[in-house]
Amino acid sequence: MNTMTNTSSMPPSVRVPLTGLLGWLIPGMGHLFIGDRKRGIIILVTLTLTFWTGIAVGGVRSTVDPQQKKLWFMAQICGGTHALAAYGMGVYSRGDLRKDQLAHSQWGSTEVALVYTGVVGLLNLLAIMDALVRADPASRRGHPAPATVSRMDPT
Amino acid sequence: MSDVLAQLFVTPVSLSGVEKSLLILPLCLSISIVYKATRLERLRDMPAAVAGLWVTIVIGMYAVGVGLWVVYRVLA
Repeated sequence: MNTMTNTSSMPPSVRVPLTGLLGWLIPGMGHLFIGDRKRGIIILVTLTLTFWTGIAVGGVRSTVDPQQKKLWFMAQICGGTHALAAYGMGVYSRGDLRKDQLAHSQWGSTEVALVYTGVVGLLNLLAIMDALVRADPASRRGHPAPATVSRMDPT
Repeated sequence: MSDVLAQLFVTPVSLSGVEKSLLILPLCLSISIVYKATRLERLRDMPAAVAGLWVTIVIGMYAVGVGLWVVYRVLA
């Protein structure tokens, strides 16, 4: 992957924040950006499937709702574009329906969906922090460098 | 087909209590996979580690659930 050599030549002051931003935007992208391809794909696929499974269970209209479910939204938004896309789809599909006209909570599926999407956000926070540590080798003093980082080293 | 997909993501799915309790299994699997993906340096060790963590979380969560249910039944 070409980004492996490109990112290793970047100064840490650019590489680390960019890794965090990409990891937030698309879960797993932070690892992909620093060249940890397998780890990034595992995180990307797992978190994407889990988030949209939650949305499929609870429906897009009431699962991501910053007005009614502020604390859940704070967890969900750590999932980046998934949460933003679900929120946008929810606003679009809700149309002119009032809150009390929405079909939610009567089967308890909204609660399941909230847990799924909230957990995805928190897991992505963990993945972002892991990517940040891996992006800055200086922060890994005392730990062996991962194989992918050593391959990034042009020497 | 697109209508079916759109309905799937718009309309909440009706779930029974058993179905809700079974939905903990894929969620715990996701947690195990992502946690072990961040912790392990050698990804080839992941399947065994993920399986171990998944079983531990599932047994722990069901044990907590059964414990709370017993407390509820005793106090009710």
